[in-house]
Amino acid sequence: MIAPKHILGTFDEALATLRNNVLMMSSLTERSLERAITGLLQRDDELCAIAIADDEEIDQLEKQVDKDGIDLLLRFQPVASDLRRVVSAMKLSSNLERMADQGTNIARRARKLNQHPALPETELIRPMYLHAMTMFKDSIDAFIREDVQLARSVIPRDQGLDDMNSSASRRLIERMAEDPTQLRGYLNLIFISRCLERVGDHATNMAEDAVYAAAAEDIRHQHLVPAE
Amino acid sequence: MVTVLEMPETPSQLTVNQPAPTPNLEVERGIIEIDSVDFAYGTNKVLHDISLNIPPRSVTAFIGPSGCGKTTLLRCLNRMNDHIDGAGITRGSIKIEGLDINAPHLDVVDLRRRVGMVFQKSNPFPKSIYDNVAYGLRIAGISKRNLIDEAVEKSLRSAALWDEVKDRLHVSGYGLSGGQQQRLCIARALAVEPEIVLMDEPCSALDPIATAKVEELIRQLKEQYTIVIVTHNMQQAGRCSDVTAFFYLGRLIEFDRTTKIFSNPAQRQTEEYITGRFG
Repeated sequence: MIAPKHILGTFDEALATLRNNVLMMSSLTERSLERAITGLLQRDDELCAIAIADDEEIDQLEKQVDKDGIDLLLRFQPVASDLRRVVSAMKLSSNLERMADQGTNIARRARKLNQHPALPETELIRPMYLHAMTMFKDSIDAFIREDVQLARSVIPRDQGLDDMNSSASRRLIERMAEDPTQLRGYLNLIFISRCLERVGDHATNMAEDAVYAAAAEDIRHQHLVPAE
Repeated sequence: MVTVLEMPETPSQLTVNQPAPTPNLEVERGIIEIDSVDFAYGTNKVLHDISLNIPPRSVTAFIGPSGCGKTTLLRCLNRMNDHIDGAGITRGSIKIEGLDINAPHLDVVDLRRRVGMVFQKSNPFPKSIYDNVAYGLRIAGISKRNLIDEAVEKSLRSAALWDEVKDRLHVSGYGLSGGQQQRLCIARALAVEPEIVLMDEPCSALDPIATAKVEELIRQLKEQYTIVIVTHNMQQAGRCSDVTAFFYLGRLIEFDRTTKIFSNPAQRQTEEYITGRFG
Protein backbone atom coordinates (compact mmCIF):
# COMPACT_ATOMS: atom_id res chain seq x y z
CA MET A 1 0.00 0.00 0.00
CA ILE A 2 1.39 3.38 -0.90
CA ALA A 3 0.61 5.74 1.96
CA PRO A 4 -0.92 9.12 1.19
CA LYS A 5 1.27 12.15 1.79
CA HIS A 6 2.08 13.14 5.33
CA ILE A 7 0.85 16.56 6.46
CA LEU A 8 4.49 17.29 7.29
CA GLY A 9 6.44 17.22 4.05
CA THR A 10 9.65 17.00 6.08
CA PHE A 11 8.54 13.64 7.45
CA ASP A 12 8.02 12.18 3.98
CA GLU A 13 11.40 13.57 2.93
CA ALA A 14 13.14 12.09 5.97
CA LEU A 15 11.51 8.70 5.43
CA ALA A 16 12.42 8.77 1.72
CA THR A 17 16.04 9.57 2.57
CA LEU A 18 16.14 6.69 5.04
CA ARG A 19 14.70 4.26 2.52
CA ASN A 20 16.97 5.50 -0.27
CA ASN A 21 20.03 4.92 1.89
CA VAL A 22 18.84 1.39 2.63
CA LEU A 23 18.34 0.86 -1.11
CA MET A 24 21.82 2.21 -1.77
CA MET A 25 23.24 -0.19 0.83
CA SER A 26 21.40 -3.03 -0.81
CA SER A 27 22.82 -2.19 -4.26
CA LEU A 28 26.35 -1.90 -2.89
CA THR A 29 26.00 -5.14 -0.96
CA GLU A 30 24.72 -6.95 -4.03
CA ARG A 31 27.63 -5.56 -6.08
CA SER A 32 30.14 -6.49 -3.42
CA LEU A 33 28.93 -10.09 -3.22
CA GLU A 34 28.89 -10.31 -7.00
CA ARG A 35 32.47 -9.05 -7.21
CA ALA A 36 33.64 -11.43 -4.49
CA ILE A 37 32.09 -14.45 -6.17
CA THR A 38 33.29 -13.41 -9.63
CA GLY A 39 36.73 -12.90 -8.14
CA LEU A 40 36.52 -16.48 -6.88
CA LEU A 41 35.11 -18.10 -10.00
CA GLN A 42 37.27 -16.14 -12.44
CA ARG A 43 40.30 -16.13 -10.11
CA ASP A 44 40.48 -12.35 -10.27
CA ASP A 45 42.40 -10.86 -7.32
CA GLU A 46 41.63 -7.32 -8.44
CA LEU A 47 37.88 -7.88 -8.11
CA CYS A 48 38.42 -9.46 -4.71
CA ALA A 49 40.36 -6.39 -3.57
CA ILE A 50 37.59 -4.08 -4.81
CA ALA A 51 34.96 -6.18 -3.00
CA ILE A 52 36.95 -5.86 0.23
CA ALA A 53 37.33 -2.09 -0.24
CA ASP A 54 33.56 -1.71 -0.93
CA ASP A 55 32.82 -2.67 2.64
CA GLU A 56 33.89 0.68 4.04
CA GLU A 57 31.16 2.58 2.18
CA ILE A 58 28.52 0.09 3.32
CA ASP A 59 29.68 0.44 6.94
CA GLN A 60 29.36 4.21 6.68
CA LEU A 61 25.89 3.91 5.19
CA GLU A 62 24.84 1.65 8.05
CA LYS A 63 25.86 4.37 10.50
CA GLN A 64 24.04 6.96 8.41
CA VAL A 65 20.82 4.91 8.34
CA ASP A 66 20.99 4.47 12.13
CA LYS A 67 21.55 8.19 12.62
CA ASP A 68 18.74 9.15 10.25
CA GLY A 69 16.42 6.59 11.84
CA ILE A 70 17.11 7.88 15.37
CA ASP A 71 16.66 11.49 14.19
CA LEU A 72 13.36 10.57 12.58
CA LEU A 73 12.09 8.83 15.72
CA LEU A 74 13.21 11.78 17.81
CA ARG A 75 11.72 14.51 15.65
CA PHE A 76 8.48 12.97 14.48
CA GLN A 77 7.63 10.16 16.94
CA PRO A 78 6.05 8.12 14.17
CA VAL A 79 3.39 5.52 14.96
CA ALA A 80 1.69 2.57 13.25
CA SER A 81 2.95 1.87 9.71
CA ASP A 82 5.35 4.84 9.84
CA LEU A 83 7.02 3.45 12.96
CA ARG A 84 7.25 -0.01 11.44
CA ARG A 85 8.81 1.41 8.28
CA VAL A 86 11.50 3.23 10.25
CA VAL A 87 12.30 0.34 12.57
CA SER A 88 12.37 -2.15 9.70
CA ALA A 89 14.65 0.09 7.62
CA MET A 90 17.10 0.22 10.53
CA LYS A 91 16.98 -3.54 11.01
CA LEU A 92 17.38 -4.10 7.29
CA SER A 93 20.47 -1.94 7.23
CA SER A 94 22.02 -4.01 10.01
CA ASN A 95 21.38 -7.21 8.06
CA LEU A 96 22.76 -5.66 4.88
CA GLU A 97 25.96 -4.67 6.65
CA ARG A 98 26.45 -8.21 7.93
CA MET A 99 25.69 -9.56 4.50
CA ALA A 100 28.34 -7.28 3.04
CA ASP A 101 30.77 -8.60 5.68
CA GLN A 102 30.16 -12.08 4.27
CA GLY A 103 31.09 -10.65 0.86
CA THR A 104 34.38 -9.42 2.33
CA ASN A 105 35.03 -12.80 3.94
CA ILE A 106 34.38 -14.54 0.62
CA ALA A 107 36.74 -12.15 -1.19
CA ARG A 108 39.51 -12.76 1.36
CA ARG A 109 39.15 -16.54 1.07
CA ALA A 110 39.01 -16.24 -2.72
CA ARG A 111 42.34 -14.39 -2.78
CA LYS A 112 43.91 -17.21 -0.79
CA LEU A 113 42.43 -19.80 -3.15
CA ASN A 114 43.71 -17.87 -6.15
CA GLN A 115 47.28 -18.37 -4.96
CA HIS A 116 46.97 -22.12 -5.66
CA PRO A 117 45.88 -24.22 -8.62
CA ALA A 118 42.16 -24.07 -9.36
CA LEU A 119 39.95 -26.60 -7.60
CA PRO A 120 37.12 -28.03 -9.71
CA GLU A 121 34.96 -28.13 -6.54
CA THR A 122 34.83 -24.33 -6.66
CA GLU A 123 31.88 -24.83 -9.00
CA LEU A 124 29.87 -26.09 -6.02
CA ILE A 125 29.70 -22.47 -4.92
CA ARG A 126 27.98 -21.09 -8.02
CA PRO A 127 24.46 -22.55 -7.49
CA MET A 128 24.59 -21.58 -3.83
CA TYR A 129 25.44 -18.01 -4.77
CA LEU A 130 22.61 -17.83 -7.30
CA HIS A 131 20.15 -19.25 -4.77
CA ALA A 132 21.27 -16.83 -2.02
CA MET A 133 21.13 -13.82 -4.32
CA THR A 134 17.58 -14.63 -5.45
CA MET A 135 16.53 -14.73 -1.81
CA PHE A 136 18.37 -11.46 -1.17
CA LYS A 137 16.83 -9.60 -4.11
CA ASP A 138 13.33 -10.88 -3.37
CA SER A 139 13.53 -9.81 0.27
CA ILE A 140 14.62 -6.30 -0.74
CA ASP A 141 11.90 -6.12 -3.41
CA ALA A 142 9.34 -7.26 -0.87
CA PHE A 143 10.45 -4.55 1.56
CA ILE A 144 10.38 -1.78 -1.02
CA ARG A 145 7.06 -2.78 -2.57
CA GLU A 146 5.58 -3.86 0.78
CA ASP A 147 4.75 -7.17 -0.84
CA VAL A 148 3.91 -9.53 2.02
CA GLN A 149 3.40 -12.54 -0.24
CA LEU A 150 6.81 -12.21 -1.86
CA ALA A 151 8.44 -11.71 1.55
CA ARG A 152 6.79 -14.84 2.91
CA SER A 153 7.94 -16.82 -0.13
CA VAL A 154 11.59 -16.11 0.75
CA ILE A 155 11.52 -17.80 4.15
CA PRO A 156 11.07 -21.49 3.18
CA ARG A 157 13.75 -21.11 0.51
CA ASP A 158 16.42 -20.82 3.20
CA GLN A 159 16.17 -24.57 3.85
CA GLY A 160 17.25 -25.24 0.26
CA LEU A 161 20.37 -23.14 0.81
CA ASP A 162 21.10 -24.89 4.10
CA ASP A 163 20.86 -28.24 2.33
CA MET A 164 23.20 -27.07 -0.44
CA ASN A 165 25.70 -25.93 2.19
CA SER A 166 25.55 -29.28 4.03
CA SER A 167 25.95 -31.20 0.83
CA ALA A 168 28.86 -29.03 -0.38
CA SER A 169 30.58 -29.30 3.01
CA ARG A 170 30.23 -33.10 2.96
CA ARG A 171 31.68 -33.28 -0.52
CA LEU A 172 34.58 -30.97 0.40
CA ILE A 173 35.40 -32.94 3.56
CA GLU A 174 35.50 -36.10 1.46
CA ARG A 175 37.90 -34.40 -0.93
CA MET A 176 40.08 -33.29 1.98
CA ALA A 177 40.47 -36.93 2.98
CA GLU A 178 41.17 -37.98 -0.62
CA ASP A 179 43.65 -35.18 -1.33
CA PRO A 180 45.20 -33.78 1.86
CA THR A 181 47.66 -31.65 -0.12
CA GLN A 182 44.74 -29.32 -1.00
CA LEU A 183 43.40 -29.28 2.54
CA ARG A 184 43.64 -25.49 2.95
CA GLY A 185 41.89 -24.90 -0.36
CA TYR A 186 38.97 -27.16 0.54
CA LEU A 187 38.77 -25.56 3.94
CA ASN A 188 38.50 -22.12 2.30
CA LEU A 189 35.69 -23.40 0.07
CA ILE A 190 33.86 -24.73 3.15
CA PHE A 191 34.14 -21.25 4.69
CA ILE A 192 32.81 -19.62 1.52
CA SER A 193 29.92 -22.05 1.41
CA ARG A 194 29.11 -21.18 5.01
CA CYS A 195 29.30 -17.44 4.19
CA LEU A 196 26.66 -17.92 1.49
CA GLU A 197 24.53 -19.89 3.90
CA ARG A 198 24.75 -16.87 6.24
CA VAL A 199 23.74 -14.55 3.38
CA GLY A 200 20.58 -16.66 3.08
CA ASP A 201 19.96 -16.28 6.83
CA HIS A 202 20.23 -12.49 6.54
CA ALA A 203 17.90 -12.49 3.52
CA THR A 204 15.42 -14.47 5.63
CA ASN A 205 15.70 -11.91 8.43
CA MET A 206 15.08 -9.12 5.94
CA ALA A 207 12.03 -10.90 4.53
CA GLU A 208 10.68 -11.25 8.07
CA ASP A 209 11.24 -7.53 8.62
CA ALA A 210 9.46 -6.80 5.32
CA VAL A 211 6.42 -8.75 6.55
CA TYR A 212 6.48 -6.81 9.82
CA ALA A 213 6.75 -3.47 8.03
CA ALA A 214 3.87 -4.19 5.67
CA ALA A 215 1.51 -6.29 7.79
CA ALA A 216 2.55 -5.65 11.41
CA GLU A 217 3.03 -9.36 11.86
CA ASP A 218 6.04 -10.82 13.63
CA ILE A 219 6.80 -14.12 11.89
CA ARG A 220 10.23 -14.68 13.42
CA HIS A 221 11.10 -17.88 15.25
CA GLN A 222 7.76 -19.44 14.59
CA HIS A 223 9.26 -22.91 14.51
CA LEU A 224 10.17 -22.42 18.19
CA VAL A 225 6.58 -21.88 19.29
CA PRO A 226 5.24 -25.16 20.66
CA ALA A 227 2.03 -26.31 19.02
CA GLU A 228 -1.04 -25.99 21.20
CA MET B 1 -19.69 -8.44 26.91
CA VAL B 2 -15.98 -9.00 26.48
CA THR B 3 -14.31 -5.74 27.25
CA VAL B 4 -11.62 -4.64 24.91
CA LEU B 5 -8.89 -5.40 27.45
CA GLU B 6 -9.76 -9.07 27.15
CA MET B 7 -9.48 -9.13 23.41
CA PRO B 8 -6.57 -11.27 22.19
CA GLU B 9 -3.75 -9.34 20.56
CA THR B 10 -3.87 -10.95 17.16
CA PRO B 11 -2.47 -9.47 14.01
CA SER B 12 -5.10 -8.28 11.60
CA GLN B 13 -5.15 -7.28 8.00
CA LEU B 14 -5.65 -3.64 7.09
CA THR B 15 -9.20 -3.04 6.06
CA VAL B 16 -10.65 0.05 4.55
CA ASN B 17 -13.54 2.10 5.87
CA GLN B 18 -15.48 -0.66 7.54
CA PRO B 19 -17.86 0.07 10.40
CA ALA B 20 -16.21 0.58 13.78
CA PRO B 21 -15.25 -2.77 15.30
CA THR B 22 -17.10 -2.43 18.56
CA PRO B 23 -15.38 -4.98 20.77
CA ASN B 24 -17.43 -8.04 21.15
CA LEU B 25 -18.87 -8.63 24.37
CA GLU B 26 -20.21 -10.85 27.10
CA VAL B 27 -17.64 -11.92 29.68
CA GLU B 28 -17.53 -8.75 31.72
CA ARG B 29 -19.62 -5.63 31.34
CA GLY B 30 -17.98 -2.31 30.83
CA ILE B 31 -18.49 0.01 33.78
CA ILE B 32 -19.84 2.46 31.21
CA GLU B 33 -22.00 0.98 28.48
CA ILE B 34 -22.76 3.30 25.61
CA ASP B 35 -25.34 1.78 23.32
CA SER B 36 -26.32 3.18 19.90
CA VAL B 37 -26.16 6.79 21.06
CA ASP B 38 -27.15 9.68 18.78
CA PHE B 39 -26.68 13.21 20.09
CA ALA B 40 -27.83 16.51 18.62
CA TYR B 41 -27.42 20.21 19.34
CA GLY B 42 -30.90 21.26 18.23
CA THR B 43 -31.22 19.92 14.70
CA ASN B 44 -27.49 19.45 14.32
CA LYS B 45 -26.76 15.79 14.90
CA VAL B 46 -23.17 15.43 16.08
CA LEU B 47 -22.95 11.85 17.33
CA HIS B 48 -24.12 8.95 15.24
CA ASP B 49 -24.84 5.51 16.60
CA ILE B 50 -22.02 5.35 19.13
CA SER B 51 -21.64 2.04 20.93
CA LEU B 52 -18.75 1.20 23.20
CA ASN B 53 -18.03 -0.34 26.56
CA ILE B 54 -15.51 1.34 28.78
CA PRO B 55 -13.61 -1.14 30.91
CA PRO B 56 -13.40 -0.52 34.67
CA ARG B 57 -10.19 0.56 36.42
CA SER B 58 -8.44 1.45 33.24
CA VAL B 59 -7.71 4.53 31.18
CA THR B 60 -9.75 5.03 28.02
CA ALA B 61 -8.61 7.73 25.61
CA PHE B 62 -10.93 9.46 23.15
CA ILE B 63 -9.00 10.81 20.17
CA GLY B 64 -10.00 12.43 16.91
CA PRO B 65 -9.85 15.74 15.06
CA SER B 66 -11.62 18.83 16.40
CA GLY B 67 -15.36 18.60 15.99
CA CYS B 68 -15.45 14.81 15.89
CA GLY B 69 -17.69 14.60 18.95
CA LYS B 70 -15.28 13.21 21.52
CA THR B 71 -15.83 15.96 24.08
CA THR B 72 -19.58 15.88 23.51
CA LEU B 73 -19.57 12.15 24.26
CA LEU B 74 -17.38 12.67 27.33
CA ARG B 75 -19.80 15.31 28.63
CA CYS B 76 -22.69 12.90 28.08
CA LEU B 77 -21.16 10.59 30.67
CA ASN B 78 -22.05 12.90 33.56
CA ARG B 79 -24.79 14.83 31.79
CA MET B 80 -22.83 18.04 31.53
CA ASN B 81 -24.68 18.71 28.28
CA ASP B 82 -27.93 19.18 30.25
CA HIS B 83 -26.90 22.81 30.64
CA ILE B 84 -27.03 23.45 26.89
CA ASP B 85 -30.47 24.35 25.58
CA GLY B 86 -31.79 22.05 22.91
CA ALA B 87 -28.88 19.65 23.26
CA GLY B 88 -29.36 16.03 24.16
CA ILE B 89 -29.24 12.37 23.37
CA THR B 90 -31.86 11.59 20.72
CA ARG B 91 -31.43 7.83 20.63
CA GLY B 92 -29.69 5.08 22.52
CA SER B 93 -28.66 4.78 26.13
CA ILE B 94 -25.72 5.23 28.46
CA LYS B 95 -25.52 2.99 31.48
CA ILE B 96 -23.09 3.23 34.36
CA GLU B 97 -22.88 0.00 36.30
CA GLY B 98 -26.13 -1.00 34.66
CA LEU B 99 -27.99 2.19 35.61
CA ASP B 100 -29.41 4.32 32.79
CA ILE B 101 -28.00 7.77 33.52
CA ASN B 102 -30.68 9.48 31.44
CA ALA B 103 -33.57 7.91 33.32
CA PRO B 104 -36.19 10.59 34.16
CA HIS B 105 -35.85 10.61 37.94
CA LEU B 106 -32.12 10.09 38.18
CA ASP B 107 -30.37 12.31 40.74
CA VAL B 108 -27.95 14.25 38.51
CA VAL B 109 -26.02 15.64 41.48
CA ASP B 110 -25.37 12.11 42.70
CA LEU B 111 -24.38 11.09 39.16
CA ARG B 112 -21.82 13.88 39.06
CA ARG B 113 -20.47 12.80 42.43
CA ARG B 114 -19.93 9.34 41.00
CA VAL B 115 -18.58 10.67 37.71
CA GLY B 116 -16.12 13.48 38.41
CA MET B 117 -14.69 15.78 35.80
CA VAL B 118 -11.45 17.63 35.20
CA PHE B 119 -11.43 20.32 32.55
CA GLN B 120 -8.99 21.57 29.95
CA LYS B 121 -8.16 24.72 31.89
CA SER B 122 -7.65 24.36 35.59
CA ASN B 123 -10.54 26.08 37.34
CA PRO B 124 -9.95 26.22 41.09
CA PHE B 125 -12.54 28.14 43.09
CA PRO B 126 -11.44 31.51 44.52
CA LYS B 127 -10.88 29.83 47.85
CA SER B 128 -8.07 28.29 49.80
CA ILE B 129 -6.48 25.03 48.70
CA TYR B 130 -8.20 23.31 51.62
CA ASP B 131 -11.61 24.76 50.84
CA ASN B 132 -11.31 23.86 47.17
CA VAL B 133 -10.93 20.20 48.06
CA ALA B 134 -13.47 20.34 50.90
CA TYR B 135 -16.12 22.04 48.77
CA GLY B 136 -17.70 18.90 47.35
CA LEU B 137 -17.82 17.27 50.76
CA ARG B 138 -19.50 20.26 52.35
CA ILE B 139 -22.21 20.48 49.72
CA ALA B 140 -22.73 16.76 50.19
CA GLY B 141 -23.62 17.61 53.80
CA ILE B 142 -20.45 16.51 55.55
CA SER B 143 -19.62 18.97 58.28
CA LYS B 144 -17.43 17.07 60.74
CA ARG B 145 -14.07 18.79 60.69
CA ASN B 146 -12.01 15.63 61.26
CA LEU B 147 -13.75 13.80 58.39
CA ILE B 148 -13.11 16.72 56.05
CA ASP B 149 -9.48 17.03 57.18
CA GLU B 150 -8.97 13.36 56.48
CA ALA B 151 -10.60 13.52 53.05
CA VAL B 152 -8.66 16.64 52.05
CA GLU B 153 -5.33 15.05 52.94
CA LYS B 154 -6.25 11.78 51.24
CA SER B 155 -7.37 13.54 48.06
CA LEU B 156 -4.33 15.79 47.91
CA ARG B 157 -2.09 12.76 48.41
CA SER B 158 -3.94 10.88 45.68
CA ALA B 159 -3.45 13.86 43.39
CA ALA B 160 0.29 13.86 44.22
CA LEU B 161 0.00 17.40 45.54
CA TRP B 162 0.08 16.92 49.33
CA ASP B 163 3.83 17.29 49.78
CA GLU B 164 3.83 20.51 47.80
CA VAL B 165 0.96 22.22 49.63
CA LYS B 166 0.68 20.67 53.10
CA ASP B 167 2.24 23.75 54.73
CA ARG B 168 0.00 26.26 52.98
CA LEU B 169 -3.40 24.63 52.86
CA HIS B 170 -5.14 27.86 53.74
CA VAL B 171 -3.66 30.06 51.05
CA SER B 172 -5.58 30.71 47.85
CA GLY B 173 -5.63 28.00 45.19
CA TYR B 174 -4.85 30.75 42.70
CA GLY B 175 -1.33 30.97 44.16
CA LEU B 176 -0.41 27.56 42.74
CA SER B 177 1.30 27.01 39.41
CA GLY B 178 -0.77 25.86 36.43
CA GLY B 179 0.24 22.22 36.89
CA GLN B 180 -0.47 22.38 40.62
CA GLN B 181 -3.84 24.01 39.99
CA GLN B 182 -4.75 21.18 37.63
CA ARG B 183 -3.76 18.61 40.24
CA LEU B 184 -5.79 20.59 42.79
CA CYS B 185 -8.79 20.24 40.50
CA ILE B 186 -8.10 16.51 40.28
CA ALA B 187 -7.91 16.37 44.11
CA ARG B 188 -11.24 18.25 44.27
CA ALA B 189 -12.78 15.71 41.91
CA LEU B 190 -11.38 12.79 43.95
CA ALA B 191 -12.55 14.17 47.33
CA VAL B 192 -16.14 13.03 46.80
CA GLU B 193 -14.86 9.52 45.98
CA PRO B 194 -16.11 9.14 42.43
CA GLU B 195 -15.95 5.85 40.57
CA ILE B 196 -15.18 7.47 37.25
CA VAL B 197 -13.06 10.51 36.44
CA LEU B 198 -13.56 12.27 33.11
CA MET B 199 -10.69 14.40 31.88
CA ASP B 200 -11.12 16.82 29.01
CA GLU B 201 -7.65 17.61 27.67
CA PRO B 202 -6.30 17.94 31.21
CA CYS B 203 -2.73 18.75 30.13
CA SER B 204 -3.27 21.01 27.15
CA ALA B 205 -2.31 24.12 29.12
CA LEU B 206 0.58 22.52 31.01
CA ASP B 207 4.32 22.41 30.41
CA PRO B 208 6.00 19.01 29.80
CA ILE B 209 7.01 18.52 33.44
CA ALA B 210 3.54 19.32 34.80
CA THR B 211 2.10 17.13 32.03
CA ALA B 212 4.35 14.24 33.07
CA LYS B 213 3.20 14.62 36.68
CA VAL B 214 -0.46 14.53 35.67
CA GLU B 215 0.19 11.53 33.42
CA GLU B 216 1.95 9.70 36.25
CA LEU B 217 -1.00 10.57 38.46
CA ILE B 218 -3.40 9.13 35.88
CA ARG B 219 -1.37 5.90 35.91
CA GLN B 220 -1.69 5.67 39.69
CA LEU B 221 -5.36 6.63 39.76
CA LYS B 222 -6.44 3.86 37.45
CA GLU B 223 -5.77 1.37 40.24
CA GLN B 224 -8.87 2.77 41.93
CA TYR B 225 -10.80 4.71 39.33
CA THR B 226 -12.05 4.38 35.79
CA ILE B 227 -10.60 7.22 33.77
CA VAL B 228 -11.81 8.55 30.45
CA ILE B 229 -9.56 11.15 28.87
CA VAL B 230 -10.06 13.31 25.81
CA THR B 231 -6.75 14.34 24.32
CA HIS B 232 -5.38 15.85 21.16
CA ASN B 233 -1.93 14.73 22.14
CA MET B 234 -1.42 11.40 20.42
CA GLN B 235 1.73 10.59 22.35
CA GLN B 236 -0.17 11.23 25.56
CA ALA B 237 -2.92 8.84 24.52
CA GLY B 238 -0.23 6.30 23.68
CA ARG B 239 1.54 6.74 27.02
CA CYS B 240 -1.44 6.94 29.37
CA SER B 241 -4.29 4.88 28.09
CA ASP B 242 -5.08 1.19 28.00
CA VAL B 243 -7.74 1.48 25.32
CA THR B 244 -8.36 4.14 22.72
CA ALA B 245 -11.42 5.17 20.78
CA PHE B 246 -10.95 7.11 17.55
CA PHE B 247 -13.83 9.33 16.43
CA TYR B 248 -14.36 11.07 13.14
CA LEU B 249 -17.31 13.22 12.06
CA GLY B 250 -19.39 12.07 14.99
CA ARG B 251 -18.80 8.38 14.42
CA LEU B 252 -16.74 5.87 16.33
CA ILE B 253 -14.27 4.63 13.77
CA GLU B 254 -12.21 2.28 15.90
CA PHE B 255 -12.05 1.17 19.52
CA ASP B 256 -9.28 -1.14 20.60
CA ARG B 257 -6.27 -1.61 22.83
CA THR B 258 -4.04 1.44 22.67
CA THR B 259 -1.03 -0.67 21.67
CA LYS B 260 -3.03 -2.07 18.76
CA ILE B 261 -4.37 1.34 17.68
CA PHE B 262 -0.90 2.87 17.65
CA SER B 263 0.95 -0.08 16.13
CA ASN B 264 -1.49 -1.58 13.68
CA PRO B 265 -4.91 0.06 13.53
CA ALA B 266 -7.56 -1.91 11.69
CA GLN B 267 -9.17 1.09 10.01
CA ARG B 268 -7.53 3.14 7.32
CA GLN B 269 -8.97 6.40 8.70
CA THR B 270 -7.40 5.69 12.10
CA GLU B 271 -4.05 4.96 10.48
CA GLU B 272 -4.18 8.15 8.45
CA TYR B 273 -5.14 10.25 11.46
CA ILE B 274 -2.54 8.95 13.89
CA THR B 275 0.25 9.03 11.31
CA GLY B 276 -0.60 12.59 10.25
CA ARG B 277 -1.95 11.83 6.80
CA PHE B 278 -5.43 13.13 7.38
CA GLY B 279 -7.59 15.57 5.52
